[in-house]
Amino acid sequence: MKPARFEYLAPTSVEEAVSLLVEGGEDAKLLAGGQSLVPLMNLRLAQPSVLIDLNKVEGISSITESEDAVVIGSMARHRAVAESEVVRRFLPLLAESAGHIGYPAIRARGTIGGSIAHADPVSEFPCACLCLHAEFVLTGPAGTRQVRAEDFFVSYLTTALSPDEILTEVRFPKPSPGLGWGFLELARKTGDFALAAVAATVALSPDGTCSEASIAVAGGGDRPLRMVEAETMLKGNQGDDVIARAATAAATSSNPPSDIHSSGDFRRQMIEVLTRRVLTAAWGNARRGE
Amino acid sequence: MTQSLAPRLLGAKVKRVEDPRFLLGKARYIDDMVRPGMLHAAFLRSPIPHGNVRSVDVGPALAMERVRAALTGRDIATKVKPIVCDSTFEGFKSSNYHAIALDKVRYVGEALAIVAADTRYIAEDAIEMIEFDIDELGPVASIAAATREGAPLLHEHWGDNFFIEDLLEAGDVESAFRDAHGVFEINVSNQRHSGIPLETRGVIAEFDSDGVLTMWSATQIPHMVRTGMADCLEVPEHKIRVIAPDVGGGFGPKGHLFPEELAVCQLAIETGRPIKWIEDRREHMLSTFHAREHYHRVKVAYTEEGVVTALDATIEVDCGAYSIYPWTAAMDVEMGLVMLPGPYKIRNFRCEAQSVATNKCPFGAYRGVARTAVCFSIERIMDQVANKVGLDPVEVRRRNLIRSDEFPYMSITGMEYDSGSLIESLDKVCDEADYKAMRQFQEEARSEGRMVGIGVSVFTEQTAPPADKGLPLNFSWDAATVRMDPSGKVVVQVGTHSHGQGHETTLAQIVADELELPLADVRIAFGDTESTPNGIGTFASRSAVVAGSASYLAAVSVKENLTERAAHLLEASVEDVEVKAGRISVKGAPEQSVSIAEVARISYHHPELLDPSMEPLLEAVATYNAGPGTYANSAQIALIEVDAETGKFKILRYLVVEDCGQMINPTIVDGQVHGGIAQGLGGALFEELIYDDEGQLLTTTFLDYLMPGATDIPNIEVSHLVTPSAFVPNGIKGMGEGGAVAPGAVLACAIEDAIKPIGEVFVDRTPLTPERVVRFIEAASSGGGVE
Amino acid sequence: MSNTSEVRIQINGEVFERHVEPRKLLSDFIREDAALTGTHVGCEHGACGACTVLLDGEPVRSCLMFAAQADGMVLETVESLASTPANLHPIQEAFWEKHGLQCGFCTPGMLLTTKALLEKNPDPSEDEIRQAIAGNICRCTGYVFIVDAIKDAAARCSSEGDR
Repeated sequence: MKPARFEYLAPTSVEEAVSLLVEGGEDAKLLAGGQSLVPLMNLRLAQPSVLIDLNKVEGISSITESEDAVVIGSMARHRAVAESEVVRRFLPLLAESAGHIGYPAIRARGTIGGSIAHADPVSEFPCACLCLHAEFVLTGPAGTRQVRAEDFFVSYLTTALSPDEILTEVRFPKPSPGLGWGFLELARKTGDFALAAVAATVALSPDGTCSEASIAVAGGGDRPLRMVEAETMLKGNQGDDVIARAATAAATSSNPPSDIHSSGDFRRQMIEVLTRRVLTAAWGNARRGE
Repeated sequence: MTQSLAPRLLGAKVKRVEDPRFLLGKARYIDDMVRPGMLHAAFLRSPIPHGNVRSVDVGPALAMERVRAALTGRDIATKVKPIVCDSTFEGFKSSNYHAIALDKVRYVGEALAIVAADTRYIAEDAIEMIEFDIDELGPVASIAAATREGAPLLHEHWGDNFFIEDLLEAGDVESAFRDAHGVFEINVSNQRHSGIPLETRGVIAEFDSDGVLTMWSATQIPHMVRTGMADCLEVPEHKIRVIAPDVGGGFGPKGHLFPEELAVCQLAIETGRPIKWIEDRREHMLSTFHAREHYHRVKVAYTEEGVVTALDATIEVDCGAYSIYPWTAAMDVEMGLVMLPGPYKIRNFRCEAQSVATNKCPFGAYRGVARTAVCFSIERIMDQVANKVGLDPVEVRRRNLIRSDEFPYMSITGMEYDSGSLIESLDKVCDEADYKAMRQFQEEARSEGRMVGIGVSVFTEQTAPPADKGLPLNFSWDAATVRMDPSGKVVVQVGTHSHGQGHETTLAQIVADELELPLADVRIAFGDTESTPNGIGTFASRSAVVAGSASYLAAVSVKENLTERAAHLLEASVEDVEVKAGRISVKGAPEQSVSIAEVARISYHHPELLDPSMEPLLEAVATYNAGPGTYANSAQIALIEVDAETGKFKILRYLVVEDCGQMINPTIVDGQVHGGIAQGLGGALFEELIYDDEGQLLTTTFLDYLMPGATDIPNIEVSHLVTPSAFVPNGIKGMGEGGAVAPGAVLACAIEDAIKPIGEVFVDRTPLTPERVVRFIEAASSGGGVE
Repeated sequence: MSNTSEVRIQINGEVFERHVEPRKLLSDFIREDAALTGTHVGCEHGACGACTVLLDGEPVRSCLMFAAQADGMVLETVESLASTPANLHPIQEAFWEKHGLQCGFCTPGMLLTTKALLEKNPDPSEDEIRQAIAGNICRCTGYVFIVDAIKDAAARCSSEGDR
């Protein structure tokens, strides 16, 4: 299990990385944390001829806060995201989801941008980003553009990134105060890929009914899924019944695949269970709004 | 006299003497070694499960820069004989297992060619260039596919796909069923999985100009591998040296002769250069022998009191493509056949057994061969009987177990259980768990709507078995040399191998005790056929018994020699001197004494001071034969809590009582128990080597084949009973495998118990995945009962 | 296309300057070019933890990095903990005392993961210990004595006021 030959390039700026990517053409591949790509290369399932390492690129790994957003550089490590004061204050759901990714040594290297660009449908960060209305900043030869998470994930390991673009930044709108949240994952063992994971946020009106909800599911199909129907059901309502119905709707809207770890049916069933539990938790920690 | 000696090292929790080199990162595993001029090998492995090999062309690989050599099956056909390992049982069908596939491939992962290059990276580049042409034949990927009318044949001349079919019948099964209070049948399966040591296999082979072939290999059985090599290669056995250095875990899978060992050796012979092959993890999953895949159907007769009176069983084992050396493809069925009744007094028994050939990786040894499967079956049976007659699972076992006063006990299948404490172990584990309180806790939890279950299992564990029936060799013995040097210190050379078991400490404890020396004065050496007495190796919970006793007997012999010489020097009679704390003195006159070191020095350097009848050498070789083996036993209890919606469950407590006779080092015993249970839990929860219907292995990485980690294994509470072996010196019994045997049975029992308030189910298989547990719960609530 | 790149990696205080193929894994660099064979390779896909080393103090899988990526970085391997049995690190002492190893193959990765854990969390709970080593597979011990060893190591390290 040794990788095939490749040319290694280590640009130090985004501009340089983009131009190398353009030059490298189709056989060029970006290397972020490498925790998914390098295993594939060692197994020779991926054999890029040019590898562009983003680890020495400056200015794309910080975590900052603006008036209305939390901005995370794409090369921020999972651990940095999980431990960031800013993330924990404004995006506790994101911090929580990071803790489910692999193991400490994986989290020390893996990056948020790498995870998002890899777009594994069972991954935690794409699911959390979808739930938290993240926008991704993509930088290409023509400059940058912003793509919403719900438009970004196309299908299995496929995204809206053009071959000459690099994901450089993840922007999260700051949530309204009192937003309830939950993130739950079911995996066969700690650190293993999720059978299913569900992220949800709930905003409550003063009367305790739901004013806004966001639900995203990992493992429900070929990409992370927003559960719009379930969200709609919740709005203006409250109580265990509507939560249960929303959970059923989330399961119905999912089309999970079968594999050696679980049947698709079971995954769907677990999406229902996790959605119900996550919504209950989110309701529990939401504070009623003005 | 300044040395302070423990009164007895035997039984003491001595810290392991071998640890510093591992802690420092200074241990020497195969991959840590470099030989001058060494090349690195990689294998091209068949992606096709079943087919006729038309051609393999290594030309394009050889044309690459820094690629030095390559061999195909045809290249070595006249030089390397296939591995043939036949059971002596009647009707066993022979298979030819070529070092590199010749005319046919029979499993995905079988070697098609070997390439050597300057680095492993280049060798892997090279195997991608090899061109091959295989005519695909229909894949036979399961017992059902293999036994179907008109199934493709793996070995055409057999006429079918059975390695062996056997039948054992004893007592009066028919009458027992006729007279039974009740009769039922179970149908259970154990999934294919294996030992998966953290260090993969590895080989370095070197052929020198004297015609001596040296092979370093991560093996548990250097001597047996050497014999197998001599059988297959054109090098006589006295010119083969096998060295097993530090080995990163064995667990059975490293206890075989492998075709890769032969291929690497042949490449070294042909190139004259040292060749290193380090198996990668994907190769390991594909081609290091698999284990455990058993299918049992058992009809059971029982009395109103819950006593099992008869079993009528069928055991089927999916043995993969070839019979493996030295255990044969009959090992699991034959062992299953005789061990199925386990610790219970069942006097009427009938069992048919079939070992089936399929297009899967060959099937070999893994910690607790066949016993995990038979334990699962017999314990599932006990739980069913308990349900049917309305008994507690502990009580039903008590009624069926062999009592201590019934040992030695000849089982219905002809196994001689020398001693044991089955009921006492069960009682003790219940005491340790506070079984009543556990049941109380369960009631309370149930009243809160929680799903809590208790599982229990008892088993008897044959250790240091002879396996004299059916195998091409009898391995009831091993050998040791105790060699005292002129300074009075000792090197013990043994035929077994230590790869985590701590023999460098435990064997030293035995010898130091006998010779009245401090532990530090005894060093244990093993793993080199050139410097150790011919022996057998480490497997089957045998080393403490056979190597421990051989070392002990050799030490006794050296001590006799020492005593004789000392008596001569002290001008006393042998009966009047005693050895104590490093000195030999006249009884009752301690001032008349001589140190062991002085005697040794005189022996070697001033033999003229000895009686002319005395030889200078202070050295003895001994063998020890454990005959029918000695039986350890164990009882285990688990308390679990199930998440009824997700099927995930938490093991709240896991308790074990182990009785392995006199312990040499209780800390090491506990470590072995923990490790065995963790492997058993791995099999019960996660581990599975899954082939699809086309014969492709789907679990070639640790992302597919899940290994238990620290968050998956509970704290394991171990306590002990000590029933010394009836015949082994020092009362020692073996124990390495035991822990791995029962966890599947324990958890199956616990899951059923947890679900019981909803309804009855029968847990018929492992691994207990979340999905499977949820389906059991659903079946219970719909009254469906059995999955 | 350049065949090799020059790297300069500091391992256990010693600088190793080598020309390597870009595809050379850091684990192979450590074992072959630096001849530090205490770092073991168990799966080469980041799932077993045997090859764990400390990169700028953080535990990482050396099989999931290329040596070229570590250019200019500071690594610690198991050999950094102690050089002789006489001067074992408290973590090593604890593993020895508590029988926290059997075959020894996972041990270097366990020791370094423990070191990183205790630096961040000098007094971890059993659950925190198990979470910290969840990605380090040990096939021999069932983890019971490893957990004991890490508890003991925490006590030893804090009593030494060290590391």
